[in-house]
Amino acid sequence: MDRVILRRLELLNQLSLTETQKDEVIAFFADRENDAKVLENIDTSNVERMVHVMPVMTVVREDIPSQPFSRDDLQKGAPETDEGYWCVPRVVE
Amino acid sequence: MKYETVIGLEVHVELATQSKIFCSCSAHSYGAEPNEHVCPACCGMPGMLPVVNKRVVDYGMKAGLMLGCHINRVTTFDKKSYYYPDLPAAYQTTQWFAPVAVNGLVEIETSKGKKGVRIKQIHMEEDAGKLVHDIREDTTHVDFNRTSVPLIEIVSQPDLSSAEEVVAYLDRLKNLLRYARVAECEMAHGTMRCDVNLSVRPEGSDKLGVRTEMKNMNSIEAIKRAIEYETARHIDALENNTEVLVQETRRWDDIKGKSFAMRTKETAGDYRYFPDPNVMPVVIDDNWFDEIKSSLPEFPEVKRERYMSEYGLGEYDTEQITKSIALCECFEEAAKTCGDAKNAANWIISEVMSILNLRQMTYDMLTVSGKSLGELITLVSGGKVGRANAKKILAAMFDDASINPEEYANANGFVISNDTGLIDKVVKEVVESDPKSVADYKGGKEKALMALFGRCMKELKGNCDPQTLRKILIEYIDKI
Ligand SMILES: [Zn+2]
Repeated sequence: MDRVILRRLELLNQLSLTETQKDEVIAFFADRENDAKVLENIDTSNVERMVHVMPVMTVVREDIPSQPFSRDDLQKGAPETDEGYWCVPRVVE
Repeated sequence: MKYETVIGLEVHVELATQSKIFCSCSAHSYGAEPNEHVCPACCGMPGMLPVVNKRVVDYGMKAGLMLGCHINRVTTFDKKSYYYPDLPAAYQTTQWFAPVAVNGLVEIETSKGKKGVRIKQIHMEEDAGKLVHDIREDTTHVDFNRTSVPLIEIVSQPDLSSAEEVVAYLDRLKNLLRYARVAECEMAHGTMRCDVNLSVRPEGSDKLGVRTEMKNMNSIEAIKRAIEYETARHIDALENNTEVLVQETRRWDDIKGKSFAMRTKETAGDYRYFPDPNVMPVVIDDNWFDEIKSSLPEFPEVKRERYMSEYGLGEYDTEQITKSIALCECFEEAAKTCGDAKNAANWIISEVMSILNLRQMTYDMLTVSGKSLGELITLVSGGKVGRANAKKILAAMFDDASINPEEYANANGFVISNDTGLIDKVVKEVVESDPKSVADYKGGKEKALMALFGRCMKELKGNCDPQTLRKILIEYIDKI
């Protein structure tokens, strides 16, 4: 975080910070960057990756096909369809 | 200066499941009306939740084990963001952080000998839809039948160095995945697709050159041509400064025989991968893992060894039969049923394979059971049915796999008659009706006897032991 980036954020968020506030914000972000560097230096090579914050697992479904929805129902909200296709603005020249 | 080509492949394989990966829509869109197999989930309607198809995980594991991978017992799905009309949710559900299988090894054989190709990972993901641009000029038409059809992507390390090696690697993948019956792997049907990552460097250098990715090769031949073209383009750029190579994705145009820049290559960051909060981790417990492991087929080379040592088959016969797991299963069962492995192998190679070829079926499409084939072989070797009629029965078994050969032979008059009275009668008729052939034979023309023999066999509708007929025919003529 430097004065150029902060100025941009100020404009985007329609804020106006005093010089003292600007110094405070820049110092605050510098501290947070240092915190992140501490984390980066921790050796996690032997730590198993956490896959989920909760001890949960998915349920699975048997491989049996069914067709509970009709195409017509699904296309009711479509701005444009043609012979069963959805129509979208042309994507190739 | 000499150069070497460094190639890594990303191979997409459509899994042979009945339903899609996250919803129960049919996964078979061939011949279907546009958007016939769609539901709110695979159309990306807001709020729809995916439910994982167990068989996709089964097949992902099988593929991983066949390719020598470590299976991640906790495997997770992630969202890969890209914005294009063939992807209605604007993200693809795929695997990034914990793919189902990692760190595999596949052995290939080329004219230069054997070589291992390392597999980086295999991940499960959903396919995208199809866009049609030529129905109308003002819009693009979208068909979501293929959306969410399950795929695995097999990512190799950059261990390949020529078109020959790439072809051998793809053949090996096809062979192994077909053996495990997880996929059809037919490039012409789009059930196997291959992107080629290629770079060129001075021979012996340990630094990789600028890498380009090529897409849109629809056949093995096209892949060969694309690799040769791209290698030449890279070397030309390095030697003659004809252009500056950039990391990009290129589209192969097989008719023009050239590759064209499509877009600068995205990096992982561009896709904003993140864990899909809608799919909880898939946990593969010991029971599930063991069930899959024990369902794996014997590897092709183990089978080949065994066919030669256990059944005494020659190298050619072994090579032919082990091309397909369906042929192998048919052969093993037929050999068991008729008790004559060499005979069973002959029948598979000369009759079964030729009917498959004639009907333009892949070997894996064989539905004739080994047991029925074995029974048919027993009928022929026991002298009950003539070979020509046995072929007719086999053809009928291709049309209806439930046919019992013996019953069919009885019902259609294909049983060899031991009624020598009938044979005598036919021989007498044929010989008397053709004195010229008889005279020719007596004058020393062997061919004339074959003509008479053929006509007798035809009159007998093939239901006669050839040796018996030949004996009776010669004796009859000699007596004249
Ligand atoms: Zn669906």
